[in-house]
Amino acid sequence: MRDDLKVGVFLCECGGNIADTIDLDEVRDALDVEFIGQFENLCSLNGRKIIRDAIFDYDLDRVVVAACSPISHEKTFQDYVKPLNPYLMDMANIREQCSWVHSDKKKATHKAITLINASIEKVKQSDAVDPIYCQTPKEVAVIGGGIAGMNAALSLAKQGTKVTIIEKSPSIGGHMAKIGKVFSPVKIAEECGMCLLNPILNELVWNENIEVLTNAKVIEAERRAGTYNLIVEQSPRYVDPEKCIACGKCAEVCEVEVPNDWNDNLSMRKAIYRPFGQSYPEAYVIDMENCSKCGDCFRTCNMKAIKLKRKPEKLLLQVGSIIVATGHKLFDMEKRPEYGYDRYDDVITQSELGRITGVNGPTKGKLLKANGEVPKRVVMIQCVGSRDEKPDGHKYCSKICCTVALKNANIIKHKYPDTDVLICYTDIRTPGMFEKYYKHTQENEVRFLRGRPGEVVKKGDNFIVRTEDTLKGEFVEIEADMVVLSTAMEPSEGTCEIAEILNVGTTEDGFIKESHPKIKPVATDVQGIFVCGTAHDPKDITDSIMQATAAASKVSEYNYGGVEIEPFIAEIDKEKCIVCGECIARCKYKSMSIQDDEIYIDPMSCTGCGKCLVGCNQRAITVNGNIDEKILSTINGVLSKKQEGERMILVFLDNIGYTAADNIGVNRLSYPESIHIIKVISVNRVRPKHIRYALDNGADGIFIGEFPGDLMYDEVERKIQRVKDRISEMGHNHERITFSKVYIPYFSGLARKFNDFDKKIAELEEGK
Amino acid sequence: MKEIPDKNILLFRSCLVSVEYPGVESSTKFVFDKLGINYAISEKQTCCTGLGHYSDVFDQVSTSAIGARNFRIAKELERPNLVMMCATCYAINKKSVKLLNKKDDLREKINKLFDENGLAHLKYEKGDLKPTENIFHVVDILYNKIDEIPDKIKYDLSGYTIATHHGCHYCKVHYEDTIGGVRDPRIMDDLIEACGCKTIGWYDHKRSTCGTGFRQRYSNRELSFSATADKMNAIDDEDVDILVHLCPNCHIQFDRYQHLIGEREGRKFKAIHLNITQFIALAMGGDLDKVIGQKAHTVPINSIIKELKEVEK
Amino acid sequence: MTTQKITDTPIEFAEDIISDVKNSKEDGVLKCVQCGMCTSTCPAARHSDYNPRDIIERVLDGDISILKDDNIWNCFYCYTCHSVCPVGNSVCEVNQILKQFAISKGIGYDKLYEYMGFADSYFTAAIGAIPEIFFEDIANDVPGWWEFRQNLGEIRDELELEPPLMPSKEVIGEVSKILTITGFKDRIDKIRASQEEKNEGDS
Repeated sequence: MRDDLKVGVFLCECGGNIADTIDLDEVRDALDVEFIGQFENLCSLNGRKIIRDAIFDYDLDRVVVAACSPISHEKTFQDYVKPLNPYLMDMANIREQCSWVHSDKKKATHKAITLINASIEKVKQSDAVDPIYCQTPKEVAVIGGGIAGMNAALSLAKQGTKVTIIEKSPSIGGHMAKIGKVFSPVKIAEECGMCLLNPILNELVWNENIEVLTNAKVIEAERRAGTYNLIVEQSPRYVDPEKCIACGKCAEVCEVEVPNDWNDNLSMRKAIYRPFGQSYPEAYVIDMENCSKCGDCFRTCNMKAIKLKRKPEKLLLQVGSIIVATGHKLFDMEKRPEYGYDRYDDVITQSELGRITGVNGPTKGKLLKANGEVPKRVVMIQCVGSRDEKPDGHKYCSKICCTVALKNANIIKHKYPDTDVLICYTDIRTPGMFEKYYKHTQENEVRFLRGRPGEVVKKGDNFIVRTEDTLKGEFVEIEADMVVLSTAMEPSEGTCEIAEILNVGTTEDGFIKESHPKIKPVATDVQGIFVCGTAHDPKDITDSIMQATAAASKVSEYNYGGVEIEPFIAEIDKEKCIVCGECIARCKYKSMSIQDDEIYIDPMSCTGCGKCLVGCNQRAITVNGNIDEKILSTINGVLSKKQEGERMILVFLDNIGYTAADNIGVNRLSYPESIHIIKVISVNRVRPKHIRYALDNGADGIFIGEFPGDLMYDEVERKIQRVKDRISEMGHNHERITFSKVYIPYFSGLARKFNDFDKKIAELEEGK
Repeated sequence: MKEIPDKNILLFRSCLVSVEYPGVESSTKFVFDKLGINYAISEKQTCCTGLGHYSDVFDQVSTSAIGARNFRIAKELERPNLVMMCATCYAINKKSVKLLNKKDDLREKINKLFDENGLAHLKYEKGDLKPTENIFHVVDILYNKIDEIPDKIKYDLSGYTIATHHGCHYCKVHYEDTIGGVRDPRIMDDLIEACGCKTIGWYDHKRSTCGTGFRQRYSNRELSFSATADKMNAIDDEDVDILVHLCPNCHIQFDRYQHLIGEREGRKFKAIHLNITQFIALAMGGDLDKVIGQKAHTVPINSIIKELKEVEK
Repeated sequence: MTTQKITDTPIEFAEDIISDVKNSKEDGVLKCVQCGMCTSTCPAARHSDYNPRDIIERVLDGDISILKDDNIWNCFYCYTCHSVCPVGNSVCEVNQILKQFAISKGIGYDKLYEYMGFADSYFTAAIGAIPEIFFEDIANDVPGWWEFRQNLGEIRDELELEPPLMPSKEVIGEVSKILTITGFKDRIDKIRASQEEKNEGDS
């Protein structure tokens, strides 16, 4: 009898993350199981011994680990319960979905008890099964061709993996190509950025395993059976790179001049142009938005390389894994108009200063004001848009701006010793070896003022920077000839777009979120998708390259190790099956096919949704894992802990919705204690009988969330509508059931929906 | 963007508008009528306490209790949208709604006092009004109708050099709700552009205070006038003819004291001072005496506006 | 040199401010990093010894002597600091709270004597316009103002506006009652008594 099974419960304090909010003593007292223990850090290696010993000592049949989210540590604990079968363990998520979202200790403790009880009831329905191992395609797509993407691609290519780089702009190279000089903290010297970038670029160009798609972006993505199908739209260059020899005659005759974005619009370029001297592909490109279509270039080109009639193309790319390296952009200075960036030519950003001091820049490396004079007094303002929680600002520190300012100040002092440079800062952040460079900068007679300026105005020929010198406690107006703003790094548009297309999680600041900030810094919360560079968070070139090579290594691990799949998928009883093909027609995931006159189910694409069960007249299909019973027992486990007057809302989410819900906790937002999240393999497995049972037995509301990209979405939506209709007939208020879209990046929206639904249910209660 | 109403409006009377620049009230009505905005005024509504509040005489509980009474009046009239002519009324009322909704202690304290003293009819229930959906300044309402302004313009004022002074208590107190930005506030610049004119946009000290500083003007006159002088000098440097306001308190500081600060600075300041509703009313053909109320102004409006020419249709 | 104990700078002062009804910035005051952006944009800092950054430093130091510092009375309540503070603090609100603390301790009474008119007008007319005590100054400073105020009724007539604000007796009664039950009237009486005491002392 399942009721007689001996269950052991292991409570993790998570170093206070859990125990500070949840009273674990009370939890221990409230649960009736064979064994219950409490430990400081269960995921540590020590945990393995603790769990194994208890399994032997108490002869446990089933294990519940009440700790963090299964998304974080399910694999760890499946391993720790050996010799027990890994699927005889269940995790109660009392961190992301309890202690991190609730602050009322009493309520959080009661909720933890409820969640653990649900896990106990659920795990009793589990049977020993074995995971299935599968391989994914080895091809990789790297999205973004900046320094991070280039290094990731190169590392993989050198390990023999085929890589496609998808770059939105006409050339790879990214921000590093335009940065001018770079420095390393140890060398105490600035060196040419392009000279460091070029060898990487060349190596990449000559590597046969790498294909570079420029002017290209991913517009659609879908994952099937471990394969990502990416639809890439490539805009034409209007110049055939095979034929173009980059002689530049076309640009000479072109009469259209537009601001050169590669030079931060500080110089002009033609409508037919090469982004920069070392750009790749080594070919010109036409900016069709500005082209006057006069035909002069076409007539001048001896190579007949100009193809004005090209149309955008859509390419299908099939890969097993993806590295997101879509980078950052700089803070939009329209958001902080008080610094006068849009009003005055000589109020510039550090990026523009990099262009101005770069030998390949608009002034060939001379530091000049718009009027051609060398500025005598340069004031730099730090933290523009960073460490600023006002609307449109960023709460985080952009991490590189202090060292960038030091670098640019030194470059100015080297070339123009008579020019004074003053940096207005709140804190100078030069961790580790960078501190030495800070000292070097001070020795170079760069000056520092501790204060955050309020505004920059122009009086006659002078800029006036208004600030407090906080060390003197004095309000001062600093005169300057040039003002340089250290603007924040924020996620690029490409980063925001790709997060949505691939449905990967983002942080509240819009960067791609890693699956764990400490121990899984390059994986995302989607299997097979990795992140590196400034798409992930603000970082410098060194860190970008380190993360890029780490991402490449993780892809290799994934390619060679294969993927372990949960065995809760459909299975065919070949004795009963008459190969009628009904199931093939019904399966939205196209996981069923006929091979050798038998139905074959692809384990990587089957989600265990159970749609095929309905159409099988022979009853030849089963979905492994006792799913119906598990759902029912989980519901029972929650509702049996309902207290007088307590509101209980059951939320059913699959892996995607569950990840979004975890992200609410990870970002420390909150939602009401009434919300009880139940993770199911597929939302379609929540059946009308489950919902009715829940409502009949004390559930006050049912919330079902589904990712609209899921192929079963429409189906589930219709089903829920039917359930609502029927529920009304049975005397329940259909408003107690809600169906909602969920997306991993929009966790704050999910938190709001939880709040709104809870409020609505509360109003229904009052109305009664 | 918040939902901005054009009906069920209680036009909130302001003490300073009433006794210092009544033309602001008549101009607001004139422009509202032209734009088809439905509003009413209530005899029962009292002052917001703003001047006393920001002179530190009033405590928050008393101010919010007075607010609760006015909010109850608005609800009873079924005109829950309070629209203020004065930036301080706007800031004070919005803050009271926020506090009464958010701080249970405060709300319960005030309601208990009402209950125990025969004023139960004034009680405020959480969420009675919503700070972003019910509390507005006149400029918000006008901004919502900005597309309809150009059709109603009669006179061409584009020949004047125009600048804006956005009141602090509209822009900065509840900055997350402010339309048109707070760091380089632009809502009035946009409204003036809708009248077919250009403003000078940014000028030094554009977002600074008028210098009134409540008690500063009376108790700390030198400090007050120093701040005003910063701004007046900057405006005169730009050769401004018309400075447009949205708050009667700023209006007083500039219009009433311009000559005095001019003497102090040794300059002859020339700008005239119009509230944004007076400016739009004038452009829409409002009479200088019967609508704009020029007799209340210290710097004569006709020192700048000598004749009005109609726009060419 | 002095030996400082961590408890020498009690955080209770900051906590009192955080828990004040007026505070809308939660624990913003605790997040101050002394960047000085408030001072950089402050009109009072520009023209006097008022320093908003320093106010927060003293609050975090638990230095309650700040309640007696005349400088706190220089704030314009322009909210510029409040609208730009990068960590979400509001010196402007903190300053208002400090003054309320000062008044409740009887420290700031003399700062309010001139402004009693704002309170009186509520009890007599439920309005809050400029107190009459200032009329003479205004009339001296602003040519034509006195005459204008004498003609206000006519001007409002011409603008087709009702006579200026004269609420009914019922309204005034209700408002007076509100201001009595909130303790406002007691507070005003106390301040007035201290003023009279002072006047007697002076004479």
